[in-house]
Amino acid sequence: MAGGVAAWLPFARAAAIGWMPVASAPMPIPPKDKRKSQEGLIILNVSGTKFQTWKNTLERYPDTLLGSTERDFFFHEETNEYFFDRDPDIFRHILNFYRTGKLHYPRQECISAYDEELAFFGIIPEIIGDCCYEEYKDRRRENAERLQDDEEMDQSNDTTPVNLTPREYLWRAFENPHTSTLALVFYYVTGFFIAISVMANVVETVPCGLMPNRSKELSCGDRYALAFFCLDTACVMIFTFEYLLRLVAAPCRFKFMKSVMSVIDVVAIMPYYIGLVMTDNDQVSGAFVTLRVFRVFRIFKFSRHSAGLRILGYTLKSCASELGFLLFSLTMAIIIFATVMFYAEKGSTASKFTSIPAAFWYTIVTMTTLGYGDMVPKTIVGKVFGSICSLSGVLVIALPVPVIVSNFSRIYHQSQRAEKRRAQRKSRVAKIRAAKIRGTNAYMRYKHSGVMDSVEEASKEAGKLLVSKATSPPFESQHHHLLHCLEKTTNHEFVDEQTFQTNCMEISMMNKAGSRSSSLASSPRLSSCCSRRHRKKSSFSLPSTNNQELSTIQIRERPVVNSRSSLNARLNDDGGMTLKCDASYITPSMVTLSPPAVTSSGGGDGPTGSITYSQSNIVRVSAL
Amino acid sequence: MKTKNRDQSLSDSRELDGSYDQLTDSIEDDFELSTVCHRPESMDKLQDQTKFTKKELQVLYRGFKNECPSGVVNEENFKTIYSQFFPQGDSSMYAHFLFEAFDTDKNGSVSFEDFVFGLSIILRGTINDRLNWAFNLYDLNKDGCITKEEMLDIMKSIYDMMGKCTYPNMQDEAPREHVENFFQKMDRNKDGVVTIEEFIESCQKDENIMQSMQLFDNVI
Repeated sequence: MAGGVAAWLPFARAAAIGWMPVASAPMPIPPKDKRKSQEGLIILNVSGTKFQTWKNTLERYPDTLLGSTERDFFFHEETNEYFFDRDPDIFRHILNFYRTGKLHYPRQECISAYDEELAFFGIIPEIIGDCCYEEYKDRRRENAERLQDDEEMDQSNDTTPVNLTPREYLWRAFENPHTSTLALVFYYVTGFFIAISVMANVVETVPCGLMPNRSKELSCGDRYALAFFCLDTACVMIFTFEYLLRLVAAPCRFKFMKSVMSVIDVVAIMPYYIGLVMTDNDQVSGAFVTLRVFRVFRIFKFSRHSAGLRILGYTLKSCASELGFLLFSLTMAIIIFATVMFYAEKGSTASKFTSIPAAFWYTIVTMTTLGYGDMVPKTIVGKVFGSICSLSGVLVIALPVPVIVSNFSRIYHQSQRAEKRRAQRKSRVAKIRAAKIRGTNAYMRYKHSGVMDSVEEASKEAGKLLVSKATSPPFESQHHHLLHCLEKTTNHEFVDEQTFQTNCMEISMMNKAGSRSSSLASSPRLSSCCSRRHRKKSSFSLPSTNNQELSTIQIRERPVVNSRSSLNARLNDDGGMTLKCDASYITPSMVTLSPPAVTSSGGGDGPTGSITYSQSNIVRVSAL
Repeated sequence: MKTKNRDQSLSDSRELDGSYDQLTDSIEDDFELSTVCHRPESMDKLQDQTKFTKKELQVLYRGFKNECPSGVVNEENFKTIYSQFFPQGDSSMYAHFLFEAFDTDKNGSVSFEDFVFGLSIILRGTINDRLNWAFNLYDLNKDGCITKEEMLDIMKSIYDMMGKCTYPNMQDEAPREHVENFFQKMDRNKDGVVTIEEFIESCQKDENIMQSMQLFDNVI
């Protein structure tokens, strides 16, 4: 709301002079200016400390205690001042808010005392200025956490909501194993089997002693093939069962199937099934052996059981740019050094550096300071460049690593707080937006309360109404009058989001229904700007001949009658009105609706009430 | 004794200081300018030059100074202040035209004197004064006549202030049609431009306009 710049309202109203000569309609009557003592000083006595300010200053924010008539409750007649039995130190900041438009948070004050004062004086904390907002939110969060910890220790048993469907219950059990003992048992059992499966894969390859009639040593997997096969089958059965259960319980199956964990699950159990399908096929047995490698992915299933593993994965994902840089710079260096070493060693006899790709291995081993020694340069030039290679290797690898490490530590701490902070920001923005919308909605409500009446003969009544509605502060009524003038100038009305969307929906529906008739008001452009909502809950049957009238009428009817049902009701209780209103009656009213129309004689814009009435007549009639 | 003007003294001090840094120059420059304080003329002089009473000037100045402590409004501030009154639409273009109209000495900022002179004409002037001021607002290039393009710009800026959510839906050619109507009414000799005489004459003939001009009598 424009409360902060209330002092500039006279300027804004004066600036409306630019609208007057172009307006095609007469302007509404301005509100009566109650010339009470607007200029006076006001004394606020807060527990003995006297504050003084202009009355206008306080009235900048009419939705707070001091700016509205609520302060009259605190008026003390004997001393002719307003007395508040509150903390004067904090009140100083609140009064400064009225003066400067910015609310500050004093660091030495207790956060809950400050919150209480704000709540008492009706000021939302979201308007604290950016300079103090971070501090305020941090203190508040600390406080809330402290209170929350105490609460958690009190209530040890979590109340489960009773009305969960079995499917939801199952999903909840999977996601939070601590909710029920059954889920916990399942959690540990799967963990155990993952461990067993991984260990079986490892032990399978250990050489296990000689078979009597073979010369080669067999691995355990070949020796006890059946045992390992049974173990593998059992594990895979459990994993499959778990995966299918999760799939059934997932609220959004498609999303679940796309998630990383489910992909890991599938990759873990697929090799077994593929192996079942294609046994005894020599052609693909080689590929089958390769597939068994994928069984090691079962170890990733542990990430469901460990939060740290998930954070590590997330860190690597988020450090993708640093890792990419590391990879890129290493690749560059490898290529450069491999080329140099190859050409340097080309001359020497029996050199292992047979090609540049062969030299890659040397470069990598040297740069990572491994130095296996299977390839060494023999020429002096080669040795010189080899030493440069190993020195630079240290640098190239050492540079991005601290970045990754610090990233991990930051993410780890941040993961604790990220969710909370995000939720706060959303609600803060939403509240400020709601306050702004309240401002515009105030104007809509003001309109619909019927106070504004541009009919000349009802001006006296309007004056009386204005006087009786003395509760609306002068700033508000003047601001509303200003917006009303703008409406009159452009022959359009302000409507709120909701009504606008419903209008669009109406118009697009009507466009579809009455497409054959060349209607005046609805143009093809309207449907393009509207949202596509095809279904409409209308029990209204349109008679074919009256499509045009109905379409145009319904558009007009919408703001006045805000519900379909009341429209239907009006139709239903219609008596024996004759359908003698032809198109000519309707056309003048439609002409005045479209903005660029010159003020036609008959309809005019003055008696909008009568137009509504005549159209409501038509609505009743044409449905017959 | 001739006093150096502020800019000159600033640049001199900067040279002598030696701390004149090319790199940070622009930032410091802005910082310097923002602490420049413009004081208006005395209240008696303003009271003579405008038609406001002392109390009215006091109220106006307090509001002005509160929003612009430096004593002048630049265009950005002006647009921000004006846009707070029209939350639904985009009032920046109209605010720009208003700024041009208020800034009579064309120095890029509106001081309190400019502000008060403009308001005095609109709120306390005769109907002819007001019409003249409105004409001055519409005449963007100040050549004494309003062309259709100028009027179209003004009309678009007014319609922009309404925003998107209006009833009936805002058509794209609504401003243009409105301009056509305006020219039909105002342009007597149909030469495509509206001069000041045509404007005042047509407005005086229009009852609505004359009545709405009287709205400004008791704004403050």
